[in-house]
Amino acid sequence: MAYPFSDFKYSDGLTVVGISFCTAIVCEAISWVLIYRTNSYKNLRSSIDKASKKLETMKTDSNKINIKKSKTKKIDRVETSLKESSRDLSLFKFKSGGVVALVLFVVFGLLNSLFEGKVVAKLPFKPFGLIMKMSHRGLQGNDPTDCSMAFLYFLCSISIRTNLQKFLGFAPPRGAGAGAGLFPMPDPKTS
Amino acid sequence: MKEGKSVKLNHQQPHQNGHLTPSKFAKLFDPEASWDKDQLGDVLHWIRQVLGLACGFLWGSIPLVGGIWFIIFLALSTGIIYSYYAVMLKVDEEEFGGHGALLQEGLFASITLFLLSWILVYSLAHF
Repeated sequence: MAYPFSDFKYSDGLTVVGISFCTAIVCEAISWVLIYRTNSYKNLRSSIDKASKKLETMKTDSNKINIKKSKTKKIDRVETSLKESSRDLSLFKFKSGGVVALVLFVVFGLLNSLFEGKVVAKLPFKPFGLIMKMSHRGLQGNDPTDCSMAFLYFLCSISIRTNLQKFLGFAPPRGAGAGAGLFPMPDPKTS
Repeated sequence: MKEGKSVKLNHQQPHQNGHLTPSKFAKLFDPEASWDKDQLGDVLHWIRQVLGLACGFLWGSIPLVGGIWFIIFLALSTGIIYSYYAVMLKVDEEEFGGHGALLQEGLFASITLFLLSWILVYSLAHF
C-alpha cells in the first residue's frame, strides 16, 4: 500500500510519532472520563487554586509589614490546607494512572512488535551512556547514530503528552508544584 | 494603595489555555502589564516549545550535526527566555519564584520536542 512519505527511508519514524500522538489523545480522554469531569476533582482544583493565591498574597503582605504571630499562624493554616488538597489530588489521579500506564505499555508492546530490530530514524548526534542504551535498543550493527523505536517513543511520550495536557488545561496547578507527589517534603519556614 | 491593588486583581480575567485574544497578544510585549504566576508560566512554556520545534526543524534541515548543537540550542532558548521576561517584560523574578523557576518552565518538554523534530527532519530530509 502506497501512502505519502512511504518513499522516505525513515518513514517509520513518522508512524511511531503518529501512533504516539493518537495514544496521547486516548490517554487524555481516559483521564478526562475518570478524573477531570468529576465534581470532586473540580472542587479540589478550585480549593488548591484559592489556597495557592491566598498564600501568595499573604506572603507578599507579610514581607512588607512586620511579621505578626497571628499572620504566621494564618499562613501555616493555608499552607497545611494546600498540602492536604495537593495530596488528595495526587491520590485522585493515581486512580487513572494505572489505566493510562496500561495503555502506554500496550502501545509500546505493539510498536515493539512492529519495529523490533528496525532502524526508525537517524540521529544527528552520537549518543552515549543511558541514551545510547535506549536509542540502540534491540538494534544490530555498530552505528551509534541508528535510532530505535524505543527512544523515539520516549521522546514522543514526554513532548506530546506534556504539551497536550498543557493545551487542554489538564496540567497540575502550579501551587501544588511544591507539594506535589504522594509524600510532600516538609518545607523549611521562610520567616 | 491596597484598594487599587484589589481592583486590579478583580479586573484580571481568567486565563484560557491556548486561546489568546488580540488584546492579550498585545500584553505579551507590554512591560507595564501585570502578570500572575500562572499566566507568565504558561507564556514562557509555550515560547519554549515553539523555540524547540523551530530549532529542531532548522537544525535538521540544514543539517547541523553533532552534540554541540544540542548545547547551542539550550543556550539559545534559555537566552531568549531570559531576555523576554527580564529585558522585555521587566518582571521582578522574585515575585515568580526566582530565575530558576522561570527558566525551568517547560524546559524538559522543550528539550524532548527539539530532539524529536531535529531527529525526524534530519532522518526524512537527508536519507
